[in-house]
Amino acid sequence: MSEYIVEMRHITKRFPGIVANDDISIGIRKGEIFAFLGENGAGKSTLMSMLFGMYEPDEGEILVRGEKVKLSSSNEAAALNIGMVHQHFKLVDNYTIAQNIILGIEPIKKIGGLIPYVDCKGAQEKIRELSKAYGLEVDPCQVVESVNVSIQQRVEILKMLYREAEILIFDEPTAVLTPQEIQYLLDIMVELRNKGKTIILITHKLEEIKRIADRCAILRRGKLVRVLNVAETSTQEMANLMVGREVVFEREKQPANFREVLLEVEDLTVRNEDKFDVVKNVSFSIRRGEIFAIAGVSGNGQIEIADAIAGLVKPQKGKIKLKGKDITAATIRRRTEEGMSYIPEDRQRLGVVLDFSLEDNLAIKKYYREPFSQKGILKREGFQKFAEELIEQYDIRSGQGAKTIIRSMSGGNQQKAIVAREISLESDLMIFVQPTRGLDIGAIENIQKQILRERDKGKAVLLISLELDEVMSLADTIGVIYNGQLQKISPAEELTTNEVGEYMMGVKS
Amino acid sequence: MKAKNQTTPNGLIGKMINALDDERLSQFAIPIVSIILTIIAASVLLLVLGKNPITAMNGFLRGSGFMMKPLYAGGQSMLTDFLSFLGILAPMLLAALGIIIGMKSGMFNIGMAGQMLAAGFIATVFVGYSGLNAYIAKPLVILVGITAGGLIGATIGFLKYRFNIHEVVSSIMFNYITSYIVAFFINTYYKDIITRSSRICSPASRLSITGIAWGSSKLTLPLGIILAIASVFLVKFLLDRTVIGFEMKAVGLNRDCAKYAGVNVGKSIVLAMALSGVFGGLAGVTYYVGYFNSIVPKELASLGYDSIAVALLGNISPIGAIFSSILITIFQKGSIYMSSTVGVPKEIASVITGILLLFSACGTYMRYLARRQRERLAEKAKKEGVQ
Repeated sequence: MSEYIVEMRHITKRFPGIVANDDISIGIRKGEIFAFLGENGAGKSTLMSMLFGMYEPDEGEILVRGEKVKLSSSNEAAALNIGMVHQHFKLVDNYTIAQNIILGIEPIKKIGGLIPYVDCKGAQEKIRELSKAYGLEVDPCQVVESVNVSIQQRVEILKMLYREAEILIFDEPTAVLTPQEIQYLLDIMVELRNKGKTIILITHKLEEIKRIADRCAILRRGKLVRVLNVAETSTQEMANLMVGREVVFEREKQPANFREVLLEVEDLTVRNEDKFDVVKNVSFSIRRGEIFAIAGVSGNGQIEIADAIAGLVKPQKGKIKLKGKDITAATIRRRTEEGMSYIPEDRQRLGVVLDFSLEDNLAIKKYYREPFSQKGILKREGFQKFAEELIEQYDIRSGQGAKTIIRSMSGGNQQKAIVAREISLESDLMIFVQPTRGLDIGAIENIQKQILRERDKGKAVLLISLELDEVMSLADTIGVIYNGQLQKISPAEELTTNEVGEYMMGVKS
Repeated sequence: MKAKNQTTPNGLIGKMINALDDERLSQFAIPIVSIILTIIAASVLLLVLGKNPITAMNGFLRGSGFMMKPLYAGGQSMLTDFLSFLGILAPMLLAALGIIIGMKSGMFNIGMAGQMLAAGFIATVFVGYSGLNAYIAKPLVILVGITAGGLIGATIGFLKYRFNIHEVVSSIMFNYITSYIVAFFINTYYKDIITRSSRICSPASRLSITGIAWGSSKLTLPLGIILAIASVFLVKFLLDRTVIGFEMKAVGLNRDCAKYAGVNVGKSIVLAMALSGVFGGLAGVTYYVGYFNSIVPKELASLGYDSIAVALLGNISPIGAIFSSILITIFQKGSIYMSSTVGVPKEIASVITGILLLFSACGTYMRYLARRQRERLAEKAKKEGVQ
């Protein structure tokens, strides 16, 4: 037996137009937390998908517990006790947690030794035991769609444990979690390792790696840069290796230059489908040259504020004024034309049409205007030219350029495309919701710079972010939301991170 | 690019496997393979029934005017059969175009048959029974078809947008409503006592030109087919090159994003269903005022449902629909002659259409099989290379 539980030798994987993994060799020891660090599209997820049997490598071999294996489906991977928590959960929404966990390997009992049925009770018992053993609190009887993402993730983890997985792969597990939930998850991972499991963590958050990982492999553009011991390496060094150049952590922020008020929100109340007020009497205004950030824990009404301003939901009450004009009842298109850009949180559902090409998606807010069309007839040259400009300017990477179907692009590049499209509208008001969610350091830096640039150009920016660091480093004014109400609006320099945190949790008011 | 990276299997089967797995070729290869499999399956079926499959297949082609029959009645020839084939191909293709527009916009217009009937009936009553001359009557029939179909389609779209009534439910209801109302009027006012159908519409109003002598045979020139072919390119242009088409596709693929991008989703849905209905209406007038020239009460044209098969088999593309409509129409149109010569019930044609659909619905599975096979072959080749 070799010292490694998983060994990948000279793995190469190509996709049309892209070499996703280029001759990567890596060994993972039993009982360690091994992290893969890299920018979006660096090839981390592809590499692990091969270990999980979702793709087969074009070249190279995979060894599990010293034996050469051929993994051509996730079932084969599961048979080798490999489990994976995907970035986008694979759960049946209207099944209970227990049903989801046992799906595919249902324990069968027979009534009178004859009629088979699924032993739900036994399964629930086993799930309760597992959740107690690892501190993963869930109620197996709850329906998945009624629980939040953090619990859904626990279900995914339990699913692996129920299948007796020894090697657990986590693909960007913290992208959708709040800071408290992240802490909880990281603790669980350490717990799992202490119980002898091998953890593979795919992430681009340096701080998480620093906190829990033992070793870390850095990938850049499909190539393995280095494998290093986390304890002996500084965060700065890891960042540099990942991006391939020096990363400046401190952003240079010009002093603010506020001008006239651009957006006024008065007494805004938004009711959700369950007739519950998720935004309650919120009022604020944003001036040109100002970044107004709304900080808050996920699910406290901040998305609904953005949706109401953008016209996606109708407010129950209140007024929204843009440049002095009342736009409360205006159509979405009119708001766009009046000068509003919106980068939504859920980029795959709202931000893009996944089966459209990159160029169609880049033009999706302008297609009806020149130079994209004339008298109702589309001008394809216009689409292509515009797309090529944006691809060049914003470094959007894709397999086949402007004609690439956006579904086949990495999440980070999809986000770059959305940001590029929205900035290119040259709107006076820019709404950014979670603009850097799921992105790597290089891309985050880039987008944050762009946000600052827009502000310096005299635009009004509404930034909604769950990352407190991001809020603190970018905002000129901070509004803290808790339970649908703005608890506090204050110039950023008058607040400390801790104070914002206390307002966010509703501790201080 | 991908194909070049991997080892290419040789031989006919190898080529087939490659074509099935190829991004671009697969959209042609899958229907072709489906057709071949269908013919094999149908042949087995006919053999089981104790009939000669080759005669049967010839029967379909002969009945559709693609092959000479051994014997023709007076005034008939292969050309009359072929023109008659084109006459029924036209409504099939037009109806399929209606289905395609709906599907591209994310809606399933299963009410094609009802829209056809409404348009056909109104055109028959208002133009077909009038004494108008051909130059006024024919354009008027087309106009009536467009208006009637379009209005029903728009209503279904409006119900969907305004009251969130699923278009499948409302269009099936419209099928019944139309069918019974039309039957009531035919039975009360327009019945032909002998045929028990509606009275025949005037030759001037029909979308065909009858009684042209050509040698010894008398021909009926179907005008609908010109309309249908022109419509194919119109629909293709609409979907690929117009602002309206762009909006409809965006709504069809991701309604939330379309709304976010500022598309008036409601307008787009109503418009798409109206356009879908327009082609249903055109199919109706070419079918009832041009091909059959009378309406059987309480009967919905099965063509309206077959057109769904045509659209799917043609990969929901207007050009693809040309080929798939020809194919399915051969089976439908040729079935009468086939059944009389081979001696099997003509419903066998519907069975064959069904088998064809079944196979073409397995397209993704075929592609998957081809990929598996190719990978296996590539691995084998590699191993042999090593040894």
